[in-house]
Amino acid sequence: MCYNEVSVMSFIYDLNLNYGGAGVFEVLSSIFKYILMTVIYLFIYAVIRLIYLDIRSVNAQGKGAGKNTPYLKLINRRENLNFKVEETYGLEGNIVIGRSDKNDIFIKDPYISGTHARFTQREDQFFLEDLGSTNGTLINGEQIGSRPVSLKDGDKIHIGQLDFLFVKKSK
Amino acid sequence: MLKLLGLKQPVVLIVLTDIIAFILLYYYKKPADHYILLTGLLVISLIITTYFIIVKRRLGDEYLFLIVSMLVSMGFAMIYRLDKYMGSRQVVWFAAGIILFFLSYTFFLKIKILEKLMLYYIVVSVLLFGATLVLGQSIKGSTNWIFIGGYSFQPSEVIKIIFVFTLACFFKRSDQVIFGSIRLGFEKLGRLYRLAFMSVSFMFMGFLVLQREWGTTLLLFLIYISLLYVLDNNTVFFLINTAAAAAGGVAGALFVNHIKVRIDIWLNPWADIAGKGYQVTQSLFAMGSGGFFGTGIGMGRPDLIPEAGTDFIFAAICEEMGIFGGAAVVLLYFILTYRGIKIALSVKDVFIKTVALGLTCMFGFQTFIIIGGVIKLIPLTGITLPFISYGGSSLTTSFIALGILQAISQISSEGERSEEIAGE
Repeated sequence: MCYNEVSVMSFIYDLNLNYGGAGVFEVLSSIFKYILMTVIYLFIYAVIRLIYLDIRSVNAQGKGAGKNTPYLKLINRRENLNFKVEETYGLEGNIVIGRSDKNDIFIKDPYISGTHARFTQREDQFFLEDLGSTNGTLINGEQIGSRPVSLKDGDKIHIGQLDFLFVKKSK
Repeated sequence: MLKLLGLKQPVVLIVLTDIIAFILLYYYKKPADHYILLTGLLVISLIITTYFIIVKRRLGDEYLFLIVSMLVSMGFAMIYRLDKYMGSRQVVWFAAGIILFFLSYTFFLKIKILEKLMLYYIVVSVLLFGATLVLGQSIKGSTNWIFIGGYSFQPSEVIKIIFVFTLACFFKRSDQVIFGSIRLGFEKLGRLYRLAFMSVSFMFMGFLVLQREWGTTLLLFLIYISLLYVLDNNTVFFLINTAAAAAGGVAGALFVNHIKVRIDIWLNPWADIAGKGYQVTQSLFAMGSGGFFGTGIGMGRPDLIPEAGTDFIFAAICEEMGIFGGAAVVLLYFILTYRGIKIALSVKDVFIKTVALGLTCMFGFQTFIIIGGVIKLIPLTGITLPFISYGGSSLTTSFIALGILQAISQISSEGERSEEIAGE
C-alpha cells in the first residue's frame, strides 16, 4: 500500500516539473478519470466476488444440514485465527478441502495446501485421503498418506493449523 | 501484481479511490489548500478504522459498510469539487454519521422492547410533523425544515425510519405499551386492527402531503405497499390500499397545481426550458456532455445544474465521471439492496424482518425515485440520494438506518450459530 502512494506522489512530482504547474490539473484529471473508473469497477467486482464465495460456502454448509449427515466440527477457538473458518462443515458425497477457491470447502489458512485432502463417501462409510499436501493430514495424531483411511465418530482431524472433530451420529 | 498490493481487498480499493479523489481536489482548488489533503486522510482513516472494528469485533455483515463507504467517497469527490465549504461540512457529517452508526447498532441490540413502543413512535412523529408545520420554513415550495439556532434539520428524514418501526409493530402484532403497566393488545382490536393499520399509515403520508413533500410521500407509500405485499397475505386488503392510493394520486394529479406542473415538465421539459423545465433540462444536458468516461473531475460544468450538490448530484456524477460512473453508482445500490434483502430473509422474528426489509426498501426506492427523476424516467420529486447527496439530516439518518441493518445482520449470524449448537 505504501509503495503505491509513493509512486503516485513521485508521478505527480514529475508532472509538476514537465508541465511547469500550469496544466497539471487538466492532465491529471483526464488521466485519473480512467484510473478512478477502473478502481471503482474493481471494487464492485471484488465485493460481488466475495459475496459469491460467501454464498457458496453457506451452501456447502447447508448441504450437510440434514439431521443424520456427518459433519466436521472446529475445535480451535475461532477468535484466535486471522482467517475465516466456519464452526461446522457438513459432509455429503465427495468433498475436497484446500486453500484455493475452487474446492468444496476452502479455508484461507496459509498452512493448508491449494488442494489438501479429500473426503469420500462409500455407502455409509466415510474415508479421508491426503492429496499430496505440503504439511500433511493427521488423524488422531497419525499422518495419513494417499491411501483412503476410514473415519469413525469422534476422530480428530488435523489440517494446517486447524483441528476438526469428525461427528457422525449412528441412527 | 494485483495480489501483491492487496488490490483484491475491497477496502484497499476504497482507500485508493479516496487518495485519487483528494489529490485531484487538492490540485483543483486554487489557491492550494493543504487542509484538503488532511481531510482526505481523516476520511480514509475513518473508513479503515470503522471497517476493522466491524471485521475484528464480528459485528455482522462486513459488506454493507464497504459498499456505503464507496458511495460516500464518490459523493465527497463531487461535493468537494462543487463547493469546498460544503465538502468540509459533509466530512463532519460523515464523522457524526459513523458515531451514530455505532450508537444505533448498540441501541438496537440492547433495547428489547422496541416492538412494543408503537404508540410512542406515532406520538413522536406527530409531534415532529406538528413542529415542522408550525415552526418550519419553506424552502423551494416544501415546508420541511426546522431551524434551531442556526442549524437546520429535516424531520421527515427521521420520520422515514420511525415509519418503518411503526409498520413493523403492526406486522408483529405484539402487545403495545401505553403507559407503565397499561397495555394494548391487538387481539382485542379484532377487525379494527386493519383499519387502524391503514389509517395510521395514511396519516403519515397525509402529513407529508401537507408539507408538500411529494418525494417522501411516494417513498413511504412504496415502502408500505411492498411490506404489505411481502408480509401480509390478504389480497383484498392489499387491493383496497392500492385503490385508495391510486385515487389519491389521480386526485393530486388533477387538482393540485404543484403536481400538475411536475407532470407537465416530465412530459415535455423543453416547452419552458428557461423556467420550470430548467432543472431537468440542465441535468439532461450535463449527462449528455459527460460521455462514457466523463469530462474528468473539475473539467465539466456541473455548477450549471441547479441543486447539483443535493438532488441533482447524480447528474453531476454522470457529467464528470461519465456514464460508467453513473452505472457504478446504480450497481452499488443494487448490491446494497441485495445485501439488505438477504439479511431480511435470514432472520426469523417478524418485527426484525420487517425493519430490515423496510429499511432496505427505503434505500432502494429512494435511489429509484431521485435517479428516475433526474434522468426523466419518472416525474421529478425532490429527495436526496442516500449516502451521496450533500446534507446533514440525510447522511446521518442514512447511517442510523445502516447501523440498524448492521445490528440485524449480527442477530441473524448469531441465530445461525445458536441453531447449530441446539442441533447437536
